[in-house]
Amino acid sequence: MFMKKTLGAMALTGALAFAGSAVAQDTIKIGVSYPTPTHAWAAGMNWHAEQAEKRLEKLYPDVDLILVNSPDPGAQASALEDLVSVHQIDALVVLPFESEPLTDPVLNVKKSGAWITVVDRGLSQPGIEDLYVAGNNPELGRVSAQYMKTRLKDGDNIVILRGIPTVIDNERFDAFMAEIEGSGINVLDHKHANWNRDDGFEVMQDFLSRFPDIDAVWAQDDDIAIGVVAALKQAGRDGDGMFVVGGAGMKETIKSIMDGDTLIPVDVLYPPAMIATAMDATVAAFKSNGPVAGRYILGATLITPENAANYYFPESPF
Amino acid sequence: MTRASEGMAGKSPRRVSIDLKTLGPAIALLLLCIIGFLLNPAFISEGNLTNLLTRSAFIGIIAVGATFVITAGGIDLSVGSMAAAIAGVMIIVMDNAVETLGSGVPTVLLGCGVAIILGIGAGWVNGALTTKGKIEAFIVTLGTMGIYRSLVTYFADGGTLSLNFEVRGTYRPVYYDSFLGLPFPVWVFIAVAICGWLLLNRTAFGRYCTAIGSNEAVAKYSAINVDRVKTLTYIIQGLCVSFATIIYVPRLGSASASTGVLWELEAIAAVIIGGTVLKGGYGRIGGTILGALILTTIGNILNFTDMISNYLNGTMQGLIIIVAVFLQRSDWKLGKSKKS
Amino acid sequence: MHAETSAPAAIIEAVNISKSFGPVPVLFSVSMDVRPGEVHALIGENGAGKSTLMKILSGFHDPTSGQIRLDGKPASLPPNGAAEKLGVVLIHQELNLAEQLTVEENVFLGRGMKKNGFLDRVAMRAAVQKHLDEIGLDILPTDRISSLTIAQKQMVEIVKAVSRNARILIMDEPTAVLTEEETLVFYRQVEKLKNSGVGIVFVSHKLNEVKAIADRVTILRDGQWIDTRPSQDLTPDMMAQMMVGRELSDLYPPMQEVDVDAEVVLAVDGLCTADVDSVSFSLRKGEILGFSGLIGAGRTAVFEAICGLAPIESGTIRLFGRDVGPMTVAEARNAGLAYLTKDRKEKGLLLNKKMQPNLTLFALPKFVKNFTIDRKAEEDALQRAIRRFDVRTLDPEITVGKLSGGNQQKLLLAKIMECDPKIVIIDEPTRGIDVGTKQQIYHFIAALAAEGVSVVVISSEMPEIIGICHRVIVMREGHITGVLTGDHINENEIMRYAAGLKREELH
Repeated sequence: MFMKKTLGAMALTGALAFAGSAVAQDTIKIGVSYPTPTHAWAAGMNWHAEQAEKRLEKLYPDVDLILVNSPDPGAQASALEDLVSVHQIDALVVLPFESEPLTDPVLNVKKSGAWITVVDRGLSQPGIEDLYVAGNNPELGRVSAQYMKTRLKDGDNIVILRGIPTVIDNERFDAFMAEIEGSGINVLDHKHANWNRDDGFEVMQDFLSRFPDIDAVWAQDDDIAIGVVAALKQAGRDGDGMFVVGGAGMKETIKSIMDGDTLIPVDVLYPPAMIATAMDATVAAFKSNGPVAGRYILGATLITPENAANYYFPESPF
Repeated sequence: MTRASEGMAGKSPRRVSIDLKTLGPAIALLLLCIIGFLLNPAFISEGNLTNLLTRSAFIGIIAVGATFVITAGGIDLSVGSMAAAIAGVMIIVMDNAVETLGSGVPTVLLGCGVAIILGIGAGWVNGALTTKGKIEAFIVTLGTMGIYRSLVTYFADGGTLSLNFEVRGTYRPVYYDSFLGLPFPVWVFIAVAICGWLLLNRTAFGRYCTAIGSNEAVAKYSAINVDRVKTLTYIIQGLCVSFATIIYVPRLGSASASTGVLWELEAIAAVIIGGTVLKGGYGRIGGTILGALILTTIGNILNFTDMISNYLNGTMQGLIIIVAVFLQRSDWKLGKSKKS
Repeated sequence: MHAETSAPAAIIEAVNISKSFGPVPVLFSVSMDVRPGEVHALIGENGAGKSTLMKILSGFHDPTSGQIRLDGKPASLPPNGAAEKLGVVLIHQELNLAEQLTVEENVFLGRGMKKNGFLDRVAMRAAVQKHLDEIGLDILPTDRISSLTIAQKQMVEIVKAVSRNARILIMDEPTAVLTEEETLVFYRQVEKLKNSGVGIVFVSHKLNEVKAIADRVTILRDGQWIDTRPSQDLTPDMMAQMMVGRELSDLYPPMQEVDVDAEVVLAVDGLCTADVDSVSFSLRKGEILGFSGLIGAGRTAVFEAICGLAPIESGTIRLFGRDVGPMTVAEARNAGLAYLTKDRKEKGLLLNKKMQPNLTLFALPKFVKNFTIDRKAEEDALQRAIRRFDVRTLDPEITVGKLSGGNQQKLLLAKIMECDPKIVIIDEPTRGIDVGTKQQIYHFIAALAAEGVSVVVISSEMPEIIGICHRVIVMREGHITGVLTGDHINENEIMRYAAGLKREELH
């Protein structure tokens, strides 16, 4: 009895293995690897990736997308190895946890002959990827500053709440400062609020105690902006044309822009949906007759009440 | 200095060193406030002082609970995650209760009740695993830290949980309104501190915590139910986390995976700055409160100046924590110089 | 000077040594010398300055004034045990072995034999084995220290000292924790060392032992040198008198017989635990019941189980005629049953706390009024306890760890008595304390019994079991092997039961 069962199981496994390899022959397998979502923006990215997976697999029955998320760079490197050895992928879409530690693992995937699409964070060695899809950090700072200049005049005061001290934060901040220079707008001070609502609230409270005259706030990020708005309301300094510019494109923020909020009148896009763009383009590399390889830098669109509806995804967690 | 020598005249030299031990964190806080004022006179504006006190309330309340756990020789690393998880569940419960209970006070009370039950439950889990499960507190709470943190991520789908807008309106005054010039969170902080002080210094339970932290075997041989007392310290810790969460949620009306990150370390730092001994056996609630105020004041002062590079904030915080503890531990030095 | 005979020249001499700790003088111009091949006992009450003198002799302390002479020449001993290189070795009461290392590794710790730059394990093992054989110690060089008994550890300390060519071996109460059997082994070892020319200084509170093995005896009292005499000129009684400076004829109090009809307050039947096998006995009101036996015979285990400190596997316990199941420590306390541990430093007292919280810890519920501790009542209790138990300290705010052993023991006794127990179990009531305090404790136990409290005394010191107990139960390997009353309570009988030479069929 026992023997029979075991034999049966072995037969079944064999059959499955055969089926698996048979399918592998004619499907296009695309691995998609990104960090485990631990904050809202990444959760939004996760949601968009899942949406794109459903949509693309429905559109092309011979395309198989494999989504893998990893909690740290080491785990992501292992996941990449598995994608090659277990799934034998034909293409990889990867948002690296960190540039340096993942450059070699991605290079190894490349050596297996797979198409490589890198998203958002570049690798530390040029020329590995076939396609690069990214948001535009300096552009986010520049667009924000340009908007500030349209609203403020010579001698007005602003404060800046920055993110976590990283290259991304520096790119945004430096571009903002370069654009604002010469406009006559005073930057009173800038502090790190770590892309976090609580820190945004506390830093803004202290700015308000310290500076009696603030005309606008660049919060750089929608989470920080929420904290900033709470602090402004607490201090009763949310009137008199005061406004806050965040960034990223959080659905609540976009909704309030659609509703005509004056405190947060605009937002600057740094969309988590860029992963979907990357997946679309990668599939296109197999399906389209047009060339795809190259660098694809998304614009940092200014979201205003007029165009907000295009960027509103009520189902997404972000 | 004058106070110390008065003490000297009145009592034996031992008294002096004890006074200095108590004074250490107070001196550190006073120095910080003077520095703050010199950097920017707006530091002592009523608005800023109120902000400071209110902000200290979260860490302070949690640190009062941590004082019990640490005094009894334990450690709880899960408090920050616990706060995030409780805040998350509170928001989910209140959002779902709007349909049946409306957006008024009953919904808010329901949320608070849920928070308290969850806090007690989470504390009990930590305590029971430590005592009955005989696993080191460090490992147990490291585990629950990860569990609670990932639970809130899961509840929020990786994003942010937001409180219903109308409920927020009802609940908002709990954080933003004042009574006799002090915001409600500060009153909660004061109440928790007084209860904590009485419990630790005036009751048999407090004495048992100290005895267990000092030597568990002696406590056992002295007819103390060691497991029960230790479990209770974790339950008190959980309850304190509930109180902190109840005043935290109305501030921004949201909870996410980044809520309460590193609160456990801030709470532990506040406890140690305050003079409680990390290996247990000696606890000071008053010191803990000063410790919490010191930590908040450091952050506040750094926001008040652009003299120090933003990138060095961590350095300043680390230095001040070490100096504060040094002031408190080096009482023997002052005592000696007085003798000669 | 006293000892100007034809004896061989002293290896080490302390000449007019005085020592103060800060403003507190502890030794006043004390002199002592140790000759090769002699056993020199140093006796005195706790706090008499014995430990300080030993530490000065071994370089751990510097004398405030006076001189140390080594081989007749003034010497300044290097600190922190470096005097070992000069052949002066101190063996602490708290043994100084690395628990997780092996015997061999401990013996050669810090000075391993090397060959070609590597530790020569074979040679070291052989050297250690040779020493172990000499002593007749049945352990392997590869045994871990943590797996040895205290006596074996002590022997390892001695091996370690011998292997370092010690000329002077200073031992702080070496036999305090040894059983009678182990003590005999220890005596043999001392004899061997003596014959090889080593000078031995040892501290002991066991005056019979001093009489038995010492050649000369130096007596200290309150930091003063009292006398140095050959031991054949002294009797234990004389030594005791010189130590305390008063008559000690009544070390043991007169015994009051127990009423034969007295109520049975505790009856244990068929008690089994992990270390105890089917133990049955009973205790009457006002009785002092001794529990004798070798270390590890299960005496402590019996009472830890009864008092809720260890789990019970089976058996019944009747307390004041009422069947009680397994109790928690608090339930036992509330029922009037209190256990005083033999390990006062690890299980009895919070050494880093003051006397007051220690005193009231066991009976704390008694001090709770309106949910808070009545601090006035605590204060009163401390004053009462200091008077009743004669706890001697200048500073009531002192941490308990700084009290002398005798005062710690009195405080522990006071702590247990604070809950007014009807039955007290005192485990090793006088371990490591001086004769004066011993006498006080014996009288206290007798007084308790006279008041109607029942006392169980667990002791490895036979004279005290014989001196104060109405009845003696002897245990061996978890069993009761004999119950002795009246004239049968003597060392011979107890030893025979304890060693398993004789066994009573009890039921």
